[in-house]
Order: sequence, then C-alpha cells, then structure tokens
Amino acid sequence: MDDRAYVRAAREGDEAAFAALVRRHSGGLHRAVARIIGDDAEAWDVVQMALLRAWRRLSSYDERWSFATWLYRIGTNLAIDLLRSRSSRDRAHRAGGEHHLRVVASPSASERVDENEVERLLDRLVTVLTPQQRSAFVLRELEGMETAEVARVLGCSATTVRNHVFQARKVLRRELARRYPEYLPRAHRG
Amino acid sequence: MRCQEFRELVDRYLEESLDEARREGFRSHLSSCAVCRQVALQRDPTLLFAALEPQGDDEEEVERCVTAVTASIRRDRLERRLRRPRPWLAAAAAFLAGAGVVATWEATRHDAFPAAQAAGSVATPAVAAAPRDGAPPPEVQVDMPGEGVRVYQFADQVDRNTAVCYIVTPALES
Repeated sequence: MDDRAYVRAAREGDEAAFAALVRRHSGGLHRAVARIIGDDAEAWDVVQMALLRAWRRLSSYDERWSFATWLYRIGTNLAIDLLRSRSSRDRAHRAGGEHHLRVVASPSASERVDENEVERLLDRLVTVLTPQQRSAFVLRELEGMETAEVARVLGCSATTVRNHVFQARKVLRRELARRYPEYLPRAHRG
Repeated sequence: MRCQEFRELVDRYLEESLDEARREGFRSHLSSCAVCRQVALQRDPTLLFAALEPQGDDEEEVERCVTAVTASIRRDRLERRLRRPRPWLAAAAAFLAGAGVVATWEATRHDAFPAAQAAGSVATPAVAAAPRDGAPPPEVQVDMPGEGVRVYQFADQVDRNTAVCYIVTPALES
C-alpha cells in the first residue's frame, strides 16, 4: 500500500493507516532532524510533534507532493524553530564537547570514514551554520535529497538551496581547518 | 560509475552543478570506493559527510514513536469530541427554556386575571352580562370561533388608560 492510500484512509479517521505512515517515515525523519538540531533524544520529540501536526493537517496535504516531502517540511520547520529558540548559552555548552573529539580523532582520520566519529564531528560543526544552511546541507549532502525536493521542504527556490549548500560547505571547510586540522589532507595542515 | 569519471566530477559535485542522476552515482561511488574517497577527501574534507552510509532505523525507537503518536491522536480526538457543539443538547436547552417561559407566563396570567381563572367555572355568569356599576359595556377585542375563545376588554371610567382583558370560552356566556 503506498503513502497516498494510507493518507486517504487516515483522512477518514483510520488510525492504523496513519500508524503505518509513522512506522514508515519516523526513522528517516528522526535521522534528518537529529542531524539538524544535533540532539538524538530531542529529535524524537520533534518527530512526534511533526507527526501529530501532520495528522491534524491531513486535510491540507496536497497529493501532488510525496507524503515524505510534506512530512519533512513540517519536521524541518519545527527543527529550525527549535534552533532559533535555543539560547546562546546552550550553543556554547554544545561547543564544549570539542576537546573530547580532538582526543578520539586519529591523525589518519581523513583516510577513513568512522560513522560515529563523523556524526559527532557534524554535531559540533553545524552549530556554526545558520538554521537554513544547516537544514539544506543535511537534507542535500547527508540525506541525499534532490535539490527540487529540498527546495519544497524548505519552502525556497532550487537556487537558494544550492547557495545554502555551497555556503555551508565553505563554512564547514573553514571550521574543520580551524578546529579539527587532523581531518584536513596532510598537504593542507598548518 | 568508474573511478576515472568519479575523479573528473569531484569539482562539479562541490559546485552543485551535477545533474541528479550523476550526483547519485557520484555519492554511491564515494561510499563504496576507498581509494577514490581518499582522493576526494584530499580535494575537500567536507565530503566526509557525503560518504556517510545511510543508517537503518532503530526499530524500538520507531515503535515507541508509533505508540506515542497514536496515544496523542486518541487524546486529541477525545478533546475535540468534548469541545464539539452538540445540536441535540442545544435543542433540549431551547425546549426547557421555552417550557419555563410558558410556565411563567401561565402563572403570571392567573395572578393578574383571577376572574378569567374563575370563568372556567360553570357558576360564573357570562362576562358581557355581568353587572358592573357605572362601567361601560365590555368590547370584544378578539373572537376566535374556531378556537372557542373570545377576548373582552373592560376600561375603567376613572382611568381610561387601564384596560383589563378577559379570555372567555363563549359557551360559558349563554
């Protein structure tokens, strides 16, 4: 059964159909939200809020879009709102974890991909990006979404998405060089 | 995608100028070919993030989410049901209010027109023939033969503005 059929049933009040949609999409949405806000546990709260909001607004869902895109739009907007509401004190606290990462990152880190390490690295680095840059970079670069889909999720043009990703990469490259030089190619280290 | 092609496309990937199909092929090769990955990371270390393997869902967390969302939906539905306007309740309230008004009116009428109440008795003389010293004869204001009701109005000589109405069943006047 495809998403649209589940949505139609859920619109008629079928909770089981909506539960099937939750089961299908909550994991992916959580992964994206967790990477945007940099907090795994809090991301589940955002996902639940997004799903409940989706249930309440099912009547406004436009079937020309994929359900996942619509859901990601709700979830990403909530994540961006959360990022904006966080205090600078909270952001400073998160940046404090950087020393631990320096210890665990080996000199040869650029030659391999340690999933957990790169995720932690991302959690710390994305704090220097604006919420829009962060969302665009996560959806495009980590989730591998197409530009047009990211544009629909973020409610902006494809050109804006490309610009956000380009700018995000520039900032991340600079931050990597400043904070984690061990990740730079040997020839580029100071 | 072959390694040579991959290496030629690194700059275009970073510039966001690859079409979606080639971009997908590039990402796939980046994840699977360690040699090319190292070449790409030499070019730009931020490609580390594109090389992350897609993670599987945490089934336990997903089920917890399903349970929590379903519970929230049920609570939400219950709250909406409690807030929903109920027409039958409004109709019942209107009926009770109407009945109250009628009962009040009846009680007021009986207090204000005791003679009319007495007219219900067979022993009472017809209103038109009732002797009223110095009073003008009563005027019939409303006659409803089909309903068996006739309304008289008496006016007091002292105060012509004061009128008293009696509702009488015509059969009682004979």
